[in-house]
Amino acid sequence: MRATALMIQRMTLDVLFPASADEAATLYGDGEGITVFAGGTIILPEIAAGRLVPERALMLHKSGLDEIRTDGDRVLIGAMVTVAALAEGDDPFLAGAASQVADGEIRRNATVGGNICSPPGDDAQRGDLGGALIALGARVRSTGAGGERTEPVEDFLAGDRAGRLVLELEYDGFERRTGAHSLRRRHAHSYAIAGAVACSRADGSDLRVAVTGVGPTAVRCRSVEQSRDPADVLKDVQPVDDAVATAAYRTAVLPTVVREALDHLEHA
Amino acid sequence: MKAVGARLPRYDGLGHVTGRTQFVDDVRVGKTLWVKALRSTHHNAAITSLDTSKAEAMKGVRAIITHKDVPKNVYGHLEGLGVPGDEPLLADGEVRWLGQPIAAVAAESEAAAQAAVEAMEISYEERPALFDIRNALDPDAPEIHQWGNVYPHYGPYNHRRVRKGDIDRAFDEADTIVEGVYRPQAIEQVPMETQVSLVVPEASGRLTIYSCTQAMYFSMGVVAAHLQVPLNKLKFVGGTVGGGFGGKVDTATETICALLALKARKPVKWRWTREEEFLVSSTRAPWHIELQDAVSKEGWILGRRTVTLHDSGAYARFSPYGLTKHAFHHSGAYTIPNLRFDGFVVFTNRVPTTAMRGFGVTSVSFAVETHMNRIAEVMGLDPWELRLKNANRIGDTSGNGVVLKDPSTVAVTLAAADRVGIELSAEYRGMNEEPRTGALLPEHLVAQQNLNGEGA
Amino acid sequence: MNLIVNGSEVEIVSPPLTPLLHVLRDELDITGPKAGCQQGGCGTCTVLIDGEPRRSCLTAVAAVDGASITTIEGVGQAEELSAVQAAFYKHYAAQCGFCTPGMVLAATALIERKGGPVERDEVLEALGGHYCRCTGYVKIIDAVMAASRGEVDSVDDLPVPEPGQPEVLPKGSPA
Ligand SMILES: Cc1cc2nc3c(=O)[nH]c(=O)nc-3n(C[C@H](O)[C@H](O)[C@H](O)COP(=O)(O)OP(=O)(O)OC[C@H]3O[C@@H](n4cnc5c(N)ncnc54)[C@H](O)[C@@H]3O)c2cc1C
Ligand code: FES
Ligand code: FES
Repeated sequence: MRATALMIQRMTLDVLFPASADEAATLYGDGEGITVFAGGTIILPEIAAGRLVPERALMLHKSGLDEIRTDGDRVLIGAMVTVAALAEGDDPFLAGAASQVADGEIRRNATVGGNICSPPGDDAQRGDLGGALIALGARVRSTGAGGERTEPVEDFLAGDRAGRLVLELEYDGFERRTGAHSLRRRHAHSYAIAGAVACSRADGSDLRVAVTGVGPTAVRCRSVEQSRDPADVLKDVQPVDDAVATAAYRTAVLPTVVREALDHLEHA
Repeated sequence: MKAVGARLPRYDGLGHVTGRTQFVDDVRVGKTLWVKALRSTHHNAAITSLDTSKAEAMKGVRAIITHKDVPKNVYGHLEGLGVPGDEPLLADGEVRWLGQPIAAVAAESEAAAQAAVEAMEISYEERPALFDIRNALDPDAPEIHQWGNVYPHYGPYNHRRVRKGDIDRAFDEADTIVEGVYRPQAIEQVPMETQVSLVVPEASGRLTIYSCTQAMYFSMGVVAAHLQVPLNKLKFVGGTVGGGFGGKVDTATETICALLALKARKPVKWRWTREEEFLVSSTRAPWHIELQDAVSKEGWILGRRTVTLHDSGAYARFSPYGLTKHAFHHSGAYTIPNLRFDGFVVFTNRVPTTAMRGFGVTSVSFAVETHMNRIAEVMGLDPWELRLKNANRIGDTSGNGVVLKDPSTVAVTLAAADRVGIELSAEYRGMNEEPRTGALLPEHLVAQQNLNGEGA
Repeated sequence: MNLIVNGSEVEIVSPPLTPLLHVLRDELDITGPKAGCQQGGCGTCTVLIDGEPRRSCLTAVAAVDGASITTIEGVGQAEELSAVQAAFYKHYAAQCGFCTPGMVLAATALIERKGGPVERDEVLEALGGHYCRCTGYVKIIDAVMAASRGEVDSVDDLPVPEPGQPEVLPKGSPA
């Protein structure tokens, strides 16, 4: 049985409060021995229960990474922008995806950086925003060993995220058609059973499709993008079992979820 | 009776809406120690060694108890009814369910208590475990309880029996026999307040026990028995329960806290985590219920044979009582003149099971009502008419031999039909609870009408 | 670190990553917020942080240094219930009462934000993260909607207990 106690007193913690993005990057260095603390919705219960005892915690809430900006056509979202801010933001597609995460109270703590950095959960799949970000063709700017780099969200998620500090996300603002569908239990804060999102240019070209909630991270579905056949989603991902749903159930419903998302896009 | 039918404010409502209601976890006394338990990591195992010495030497640790510290370690929730005890407060030599408490620590912080638990050294020899009640009686099933895999203390029997009328004749005379198997599963009650108690040793030598129990006097008896102290040494403070739903009937934390408070001579509190609440608190029992009904083509239920297996988990606790309630309700709200019921309380390597909203009754009601629908379907009858026809009436005799004076099945069924917009024929709509006559008193019910409760 | 809790400024000595829930309950002895799950899943610990409902078990105290915190204790007393509290009382929306502090605070914030009558769907959305195992939610939803319509602004017809008198009995009741 896992330890379940409150471990506040056991934390001999060094907590760092960088006052800017640069300072955060410097303090983070190559990430060795550093635990990033964003909104805390995943990590705080772990720390409080003593399951995670960070050596040094880097708290990002004063680092100025909590802004949504535009630069020409690009939209830039700081890692510390809350999921609530996205849910109330200007982009209806992102707002829709964000408003499916947890419930309003948790979204006021939860951050977009924490969402795409969330480690795989034991009992549910997380990182739902990853899907929408992949569909938008978003890129992640992160720092760590080897310095700063910017890469597509799908590559970041598929790679080894440990040792990276996410600073910002960015995507190109142009007219899109979008579609999304997710299957979840009724309770407003329960995790998705399966979700699919799709974006294309206004003329229907450049289709990008992603699924969430069926595995440890969101996944880009290149087979579906090419064939436009929802059944092909099972070539792109292998759904997993958890407390929310079985792999078999997810496998059975996923093509339908993808079809719904593609239909929404079609009729957008 | 001015209160019945009147709209009264909740006596505790103002406390609740202002957040001033004091739940156990809200009680503040100075220098309270925290409790954590070493729990079994196996479903069924012999404990081959246990060493708490490292934990005892740790900073902040004020008391540790094992089975050796419990004046009367083995006790049973039904000892007051003459049933021998079977369950140790703290495991002694063996564990029978995952999460069973083995030792407990009181320390100056929750963290120190948990660290001490982690420092305890224990080794096990794992044994095969039994999870499915249907396999418990197999010849090659592991024997997991000192009484065998079935609770043996129903008088001369190892099961709860009901015998009424002439069951064989009922089945001989039946036009159709309708069978069904029903398996309601375990449910965790999930009260929003997890199990919690706070025990304060008083200068007078008494213990003040703040408890979230649903069953105050009963819990008091359990603590007194384990501690082997008279009841007047215990002052229970209860009545504020943050949800229970049956999950706070079994005494969960109070006894261990009391022993630690006595040993440490300090106030001691144990609040379970949500994880503990889910994994180790007692759940509603899973059941396996087989029904066989002898039915006439007119839609009379002439007789019912029932075999029930009740999953008690690793120890008896209240399960034998829950099964008795189950037995008394197994004919449902219907008059069935011939009954044969055999119910077994079966042990498995699960967390011991307990009450939840209609202890033992909900499971059999689910089975019976589902079975009524099945009978209607098999016989091509209207399920409402089937129920109304067989419904208990004044003068009918229940399964356990009670002559009914004020049954309400007809009224309730008619009201339900009304609510869901079911149109009934005038004959059925006009039914009431009055004693049976004419077409509603067929041959097979006449005999039981004259029993006056004596023959059952 | 400092917090303004129910209008009073207090200095905090707990370590920076202590959940706000524990700071309130264990450092400040403010026991209205409850520890139902300590992992974000139940809503019994919800408090208002600068007017917005958030889970205190998921919020590190350092992250809200300087913020204004409202717990149920800051909403109203038995003698002067807020509209939401009065509605919960009148509609029997509190049974065991363990979920009630979180529910009342979330509902208060919803009504404040909306500034007028709230719809059923809005209540479901705002309270969807709060579990109640006792009431079945219907009475809670009714209470929030009634409060938002200003239909319950006084509890005159339900008597308030005298100080020191634990039970509230209606006029003319036998005891
Ligand atoms: C009841 C409940 C329901 C939930 N429902 C959902 C849901 O439906 N969908 C969903 O996707 N999630 C859900 N979550 C999970 C979580 O709330 C979100 O994923 C949230 O966005 C995580 O962000 P955070 O800022 O709180 O992360 P934190 O807890 O602060 O951090 C999470 C992890 O990411 C790392 N991290 C955080 N920020 C960075 C960064 N900038 N760079 C590098 N590493 C970083 C941390 O070190 C940690 O390992 C739920 C959580 C709860 C408690
Ligand atoms: S205690 Fe915070 S949500 Fe349950
Ligand atoms: S009133 Fe008991 S949990 Fe809501």
